[in-house]
Amino acid sequence: MRFRAMRFIVVNLLLTLVWAFVTGSFTLHNLALGFAIGAMSLLLVRDQLPASLNRVRPIKLLLLVGLFFKELMLSAIKVAVMVLRPNMRLRPGIFAYPLTITRDFEITLLANLITLTPGTLSVDVSDDRKMLYVHALSCHDPAAERRAISSGFERRIREAFPL
Amino acid sequence: MSASAILSFSTTFALVALSLGLLLTVARIVRGPTLPDRVLGLDMLVAIAIGFIAVIAIRSGFNLYIDIAIALSLVGFLATVAFARFILARGLSPESAGADSRAAAVPTRGKALAPARRQNKGGRR
Amino acid sequence: MSAGPDLLVAIAVSVLLVAGSIFSLLAALGLLRFPDLYTRMHAASKAGTIGSGLLLLAAGLHALDIAILLRALAGFAFFVLTAPVSAHLLAKAAHQAGYKLTNLSVTDQLPLAKQKSDRL
Repeated sequence: MRFRAMRFIVVNLLLTLVWAFVTGSFTLHNLALGFAIGAMSLLLVRDQLPASLNRVRPIKLLLLVGLFFKELMLSAIKVAVMVLRPNMRLRPGIFAYPLTITRDFEITLLANLITLTPGTLSVDVSDDRKMLYVHALSCHDPAAERRAISSGFERRIREAFPL
Repeated sequence: MSASAILSFSTTFALVALSLGLLLTVARIVRGPTLPDRVLGLDMLVAIAIGFIAVIAIRSGFNLYIDIAIALSLVGFLATVAFARFILARGLSPESAGADSRAAAVPTRGKALAPARRQNKGGRR
Repeated sequence: MSAGPDLLVAIAVSVLLVAGSIFSLLAALGLLRFPDLYTRMHAASKAGTIGSGLLLLAAGLHALDIAILLRALAGFAFFVLTAPVSAHLLAKAAHQAGYKLTNLSVTDQLPLAKQKSDRL
């Protein structure tokens, strides 16, 4: 119970920080207002708060964020170049990707990362959360795509959020 | 070349490019051929409009426009989510069955059989 | 205020503006050129996000005000977080509703019609 309250406050403080960013002012009044609004919105979703986050490795998390922005830039450039090619030579398809991470927020994170990286877009996750279905622009070698995801993002996520 | 001249040139360039983008997106929305395509087009329209507002903010110097852009991105996201739920609830639309052979939903006899077979072969691999 | 930093900011803002608007334009072109919904989604969710994001950053940088820049960064982060979610929702809904992939597609391993219509 005490742990839940702790998490509530931590998330609420994060929301307060975001509020201060968005409103662009760090006065005491504004922070208090942000805290109150964050508490109210957290109360609305209190049942859907994620299960306990045991440990986070900040440096690994930063590495993950860095990798993400690099890949995002690369993927935008790749798609832009592909659009300009007169013959796009597409081999699109949806392949299944077996997940080794289990927690919901990790799967959500992985799916979002996959969507914003070159040539892949996550479409669906199976009901038992063991398979992620990924649409790829060039799907002639799903095995290579799977290897790339599992040694890239999935490994990084596991490192950033150890069990 | 002074700073304001550079800015004036680049904002004009950005406005022209974004206008072309808006036109292309509208062309996709008009052509369809299915409802999800149009929803995607509307999503893209909102994204380009956000970029447009950002450029206008630079050109006019009113920083308030950035808040408007953020609010618009919120609204656009919610609209797309609502449309996705609508598509899921409604299922396949009748117009997509015959409108475009690529998006043909029901493989009727004859012509549509060949592509269906090709897809099956791919799936077995 | 000297002319040096002013010019540098103007150049940085211009680079962001040109890059962002070109990405947006190419995303729109991709929307028109790709053969089916799912491939179009690649163009819209990646190039489109980066395009609008860079333009927002340019607006934030131009103001030369930390509060405005933070706000623009928050908008950018929000945009990057929501774009994949909406793309994913739309792709999933379209696939479950039965919209087919293009004939160029080589494989589709996602099972159809899983009968879980009210879980999204």
